Amino acid sequence: MQKKILEFTNILRKSGIRVSTAESIDAFKALEVLSFDDREVFKDALRTTMVKRGEEVETYDQLFDLFWSGFYDNLRESFGEAANGLPPGMDLERLLQQITEALKNLKGDFGDLSELARALLTADLSMIEQLIRAAAEQAGTGRIENFLQVGFFSRRTLDQMDLDGAGGELRDLASRLEEAGLSAEEIQALRKLIEGLMEAARKSVRAYTERELQKQNHDYMEKFRRETLLEKSFYHLTEEEIRKMREVVERLAQKIKNIMSIRRRRLRKGKLDLRQTLRRNMPHGGVPFDLIFKHRKKDRPKLVILCDVSSSVANVSRFMLQFVYSLQEAFTKIRAFVFVAELGEVTRIFQEKDINEAIEEALEGGDVINVYTRSNFGYAFHYFWQNYLSAIDKRTTVLILGDARNNYNDPRAWCLRDIHNKAKNVVWLNPESPSAWGFGDSVMNKYVPYTDVADECRNLRQLTAVIDRLLL
Amino acid sequence: MFDSVEKVQQSLADQDFICDKKIATVVFLAAKLEKPVLVEGPAGVGKTELAKTVAAATGRNLIRLQCYEGLDEAKALYEWEYSKQLLYTQILKEKFTGLMDGASTIREAARRIGEEDSVFFSDNFIVARPLLQAITADEPTLLLVDEVDKSDPEFEAFLLEVLSDFQVTVPEIGTIVAKSRPLVFLTSNNAREMSDALKRRCLHLYIDYPTEELEVRILETKVPEAAKQLIEDLVGMMHRLRQLDLKKAPSISETLDWARALLALNASELNEDVVNQTFSVILKYEGDVRKAESELSKLLQKKQGEAAAQAATPSQTPSATAVKKGALH
Ligand SMILES: Nc1ncnc2c1ncn2[C@@H]1O[C@H](COP(=O)(O)OP(=O)(O)O)[C@@H](O)[C@H]1O
Ligand SMILES: [Mg+2]
Repeated sequence: MQKKILEFTNILRKSGIRVSTAESIDAFKALEVLSFDDREVFKDALRTTMVKRGEEVETYDQLFDLFWSGFYDNLRESFGEAANGLPPGMDLERLLQQITEALKNLKGDFGDLSELARALLTADLSMIEQLIRAAAEQAGTGRIENFLQVGFFSRRTLDQMDLDGAGGELRDLASRLEEAGLSAEEIQALRKLIEGLMEAARKSVRAYTERELQKQNHDYMEKFRRETLLEKSFYHLTEEEIRKMREVVERLAQKIKNIMSIRRRRLRKGKLDLRQTLRRNMPHGGVPFDLIFKHRKKDRPKLVILCDVSSSVANVSRFMLQFVYSLQEAFTKIRAFVFVAELGEVTRIFQEKDINEAIEEALEGGDVINVYTRSNFGYAFHYFWQNYLSAIDKRTTVLILGDARNNYNDPRAWCLRDIHNKAKNVVWLNPESPSAWGFGDSVMNKYVPYTDVADECRNLRQLTAVIDRLLL
Repeated sequence: MFDSVEKVQQSLADQDFICDKKIATVVFLAAKLEKPVLVEGPAGVGKTELAKTVAAATGRNLIRLQCYEGLDEAKALYEWEYSKQLLYTQILKEKFTGLMDGASTIREAARRIGEEDSVFFSDNFIVARPLLQAITADEPTLLLVDEVDKSDPEFEAFLLEVLSDFQVTVPEIGTIVAKSRPLVFLTSNNAREMSDALKRRCLHLYIDYPTEELEVRILETKVPEAAKQLIEDLVGMMHRLRQLDLKKAPSISETLDWARALLALNASELNEDVVNQTFSVILKYEGDVRKAESELSKLLQKKQGEAAAQAATPSQTPSATAVKKGALH
């Protein structure tokens, strides 16, 4: 059982459910105090100990059914059929009784049979299940990749468990019992039963192999879905993809927040702050009852963010804005600007509206700029230089999102140079790959000298990496 | 404490809390494995009530820590009682003077006072807040950390430390270890997602809106005076409302409030009049009321249609008589 649970845990992990070792130990402990008889309880017990996120429950349910309940039911069905094949008036239990008696006369018992033959004859389903599992593992069924291999791996499993051998033993047993004087009717029933059991075993092995295939596919599809969302290029996203990515960003942002707060807690207890302590304890006549410690805090950056909202870059801007505003408390101050050719400030919108609404509005130009023009970075930077240069000081990180496709206008890189001189950092994220920078109407090469970091940012994975570096 | 999942279900039902096996399984495991439970789910589905009921069913003292933004260690764990300390300082002034006798320098005086520090930083002057109460309690307790999602992430990290070993260190006194491990329930309405670290530490329970069958049983238990028909109508209506895209979907607490309101109005069934009078009990937003109204009239029409069909048959069905009686009031 322990092994089976470990196996199940691994399957959960492969499908993207994060189960820690401590949690799988909790699952073991839970099963020690519960009975397995009630499948629902069993399922709930594994879930409550290992699955803690709402969005993972559906995957868990599917995998649980695939892994636990289905196969046993399958076995019960196939072997039930075999036992039902007995002639009327004869049931399995009575037949077994008679066989036991007859064996006694032959001075033998079931113990002479191999494990599999005995399990088949007594329809010991959990033993059969174990033997099939073990054989399938030996046969390497876990590596199955497509439907064409079902036959191959089933055959290997059958060979591994030596079903044919067990069949031989059972037929042999029937002959011996015939000699020992079991009635012809009984012998006929027994022979029929044996063939039925063999058939049931073959069917079950095949069913097992098919389930393995399904499991592999499930892992694969899940992983594929997640990976593709992270890797998917920001160009041409459907509404649905945008919605899903928004959720992913939300989760990533939450995770970063949690990491930051735990880190902050660790850093917190600093040195005694004498001045604060004295001031706080004035009411006690200066007796220092209440000690104040200096908080060692990491400098929270001031952020100025310039977002190109022309359609080629809109999605980078969209998710960056979502990140930045979900993590507001990580910054002392955020000011956000949007541009295509004209440039305007949208900080207010974010203070007044719900974040998603604000983002959509900003991408539409937020009433401050016309977005239906051709990109002109030089113009936008110059406008910023004229009106907002004072927004930048030694603690400011300037974050620019844009593809630097300037439609052959003057890049006016000197504006960025002045910005760079005043700021702590200039970070530029470009959805195009560096190999395209400077070619055609891209003037990225003119701007790169005035940045501290210039990176490609084409998908969520890259975006997350940037955020990580910015904050942690 | 509990022998089996069924026993849990039964003893919670004895306290008027009706739940499915899923909830009972988690409670059972929490008691057996001595692990905290994080209960998530929409407002009003009985998260808080569950914790209270488990306390009652196990005979444990309930200690509740209500979370809110800005909650800090001082409010959750302990505080020094400055005014009392000061008062003692005043009272003991003479003793201090005695203590100072012969101290030639300030440094020497300070050292002597310092040696008496422990008098001031002892249990006498500590105000125990819920977490410390739970740790120092002599009797077994149940600690309810309610609406933990409202607290700040920093507080969550602190909570995690306390939950991991049930001991706290008060620098001036030393380390206090819990005499018996409290059962711990944390509830969250998902205002924000809790950290992975916290989730790993806890068993997890998601309570969703109940099935119709369960909700009917809850109503029968909590509002036994209500007629069966009324309860079924109510629950049916609630389940339809929950399907709508409402800003705030009505929960079990609203169903209970609604049933009580209808009883107060002597209504024995749902009709347009009573419903219009009482809608504010279940829906808090103007927009939601508008969305719900059309759903409601559809439902009522369907009901009237059925009633008419029944009235057309010669033998009067019990529900038809009930309608008549209701009309007489
Ligand atoms: N399963 C239940 N059985 C009985 N009463 C319930 C149940 N679930 C909820 N209630 C009732 O619903 C109301 C709301 O429950 P509460 O615990 O405050 O919800 P939450 O904490 O989830 O917001 C309470 O009055 C409680 O008595
Ligand atoms: Mg509550």
